[in-house]
Amino acid sequence: MPNVSLRQRLLLYVPSGFLLFFFVFPLIALVVLSFWQTENYKIVRELTLNNYVTLATEGAYITFFLRSLMMAVGVSVTLVVMAWPIAYFIVRYGGRYRIILSLLLVIPFLSGEVLRLIALQGMLGPAGLVNGMLVRMGAAPLRLIMYSNVASFIAFIYLYLPLVVTTVYLSLINFDFRLAHAANACGANRFRVFTEVVWPLNLSGTLVGFMLAFIPTLSASLVPRFLGGPNGTLYGMSMSQQFGESGTWALGAAMGVVLFLFSALALAILSFGVDLRRTGFTGMGRQ
Amino acid sequence: MFDKKFTRRSILAAGTTAALTMPFIRPSWAAPDQVRALMWEAYLLPDQITAFEETNKVKFVPTFFDGNSEAYNKLRVGGSKEFDLVQADGFWPQLYYREKLLRTVDYAKVPNAGGYLPEFQAAAFDVLSEPEAGGKIGFPFCWGAYGITYDAGKVAPEKTETLECMFNADYSGMLSTSSRFEENIALAALLVTDRLGSRIKPRPDGKPFNPYVLTDEELTEIEKLLVQQKALLLTRYQDNPTLFQLLQSGAVVAATEFAQVFRQLLTAESQGAPAVDFRHALKMKEGGLGWVDTWLVTSGVEDGPKLDLCYNFIDIMISAPVMKKIGEVAGCSTTVDLRAISTEDERKLFLMDRSSEIADLFMFDQPSSPEKWERVWSNVQAA
Repeated sequence: MPNVSLRQRLLLYVPSGFLLFFFVFPLIALVVLSFWQTENYKIVRELTLNNYVTLATEGAYITFFLRSLMMAVGVSVTLVVMAWPIAYFIVRYGGRYRIILSLLLVIPFLSGEVLRLIALQGMLGPAGLVNGMLVRMGAAPLRLIMYSNVASFIAFIYLYLPLVVTTVYLSLINFDFRLAHAANACGANRFRVFTEVVWPLNLSGTLVGFMLAFIPTLSASLVPRFLGGPNGTLYGMSMSQQFGESGTWALGAAMGVVLFLFSALALAILSFGVDLRRTGFTGMGRQ
Repeated sequence: MFDKKFTRRSILAAGTTAALTMPFIRPSWAAPDQVRALMWEAYLLPDQITAFEETNKVKFVPTFFDGNSEAYNKLRVGGSKEFDLVQADGFWPQLYYREKLLRTVDYAKVPNAGGYLPEFQAAAFDVLSEPEAGGKIGFPFCWGAYGITYDAGKVAPEKTETLECMFNADYSGMLSTSSRFEENIALAALLVTDRLGSRIKPRPDGKPFNPYVLTDEELTEIEKLLVQQKALLLTRYQDNPTLFQLLQSGAVVAATEFAQVFRQLLTAESQGAPAVDFRHALKMKEGGLGWVDTWLVTSGVEDGPKLDLCYNFIDIMISAPVMKKIGEVAGCSTTVDLRAISTEDERKLFLMDRSSEIADLFMFDQPSSPEKWERVWSNVQAA
């Protein structure tokens, strides 16, 4: 059956080749570049650790990273807290409208991220809906939501909430609620049912949602650029500056490598630190 | 294909695939029927491009960039064979020429070059002259400054005579600057070197003072000044529409910008927006920054039909009617004298009677050390 074999191989080779060309090779190029230097918009091809030393010792880049990390943790935790009741409500009380309600979550993705950010800039800006109304009522505008880290935080929540709700929803929809009823019948109160049955058995879906918000927030450059204001520069924004205006690509590449390694580490900790079989993860088969 | 040796069918399939992919992997410099330009998107007029293509039976292929450093990188990476025309401002054309990315040009082949304002005519505008031989390396196009647009009802005009205006605590939370790090640092350099008095002392490079060539001591002071300024800023705007909204709403009363938003504000007012006394200060007592956009021909273009096409294109672009249209679309001042075909309002709006002021401005340039400047900017952002 040579044809079957060819088809099977093609199915494997085409996506593998795609990944190799557009993911692995650029990543290798990024790693190599991070060990070179840039000088007056020129690449100096001499191996050096200078970029990594700069990142480890210069306060500015450490600040950007810590700001991003705090933002990513804050945003992801908030999103999980917000997403759970929404997903739970849809699964438990959505009835025949569950599909429609879950599809509604996809609507924001029909427009581009930049468009959504510009809309949000209009909402939160000095002449936006919120502050415009406050000024009309004679109150002072809320400076907290104008070009600040709070504005960025709101934007991240707005951007990634549908993602996290969807993942928690997909987890809950596959959850056997008879287990919760059983726990309840055995005398557990609602809080115990949730903390000891529902939450742990949906932890894998929750973790996926957490990571889907955590990683893009950690590397975000558009949100702080549009909404962060003078004190809102995050790691991803600084990284994009290295590849754009300042032309210090080698330092930018080193920042990219650090970000990639940190994200991989965070994924590894969550993957290995959690017993997936006890968290409702069904992809490992029965053993 | 993986299990068998070469067969007629597999060779045929590979040949067909290669033939189909050839147009996509063929180097663009191999095409003789194109004019390829590396340019600012704002200057692209679709009607003019179509007319140029139809008249000359060629395809115009534009590639856009967002900053001089990006254009420089594209030109260097692609080599001058990838582009026929390129745009640059300030002293960047000289850098390109030193790196042998440009060729000299002949103004006699471009009749509309006779229409330049006196400051931009071949003999007067040294920025585009070959350092040794004195030949010309490009054609001036649009010009502008990085001045202060302000609401004169809230900021007294005399306050904007100095750059201190942008560091004045009286306007705390109502100031804005662009997010361009080069111009923020260079503008602060004018103030710092004026305060330190280091501008009039001999410079380390032995050349006259240039706010883009700074000492470490000056950079340290600039960093401190920009950190102080941060507390006074509402935001560093990313684009003109944002600044327009901020100024029009009154949230910002003074901002450094290219006078484009100033023009948009005046135009909006003439179209019925509430009247606000917006003004634009081109040059402050410490000095100002200016730029002149240019059209340059790359060293990949040899004498002959391709060069003639390039001259033809530039001739169209700097013709009075096209320049007027570009001024309106891009919101910039032009180097061609349009006063005869402009109204009084247009003369005021496009600073047509103030072109002589460009001579006193420091031209946009390449930072003396992009690495050091980047570090200063990062420190300011992190502070």
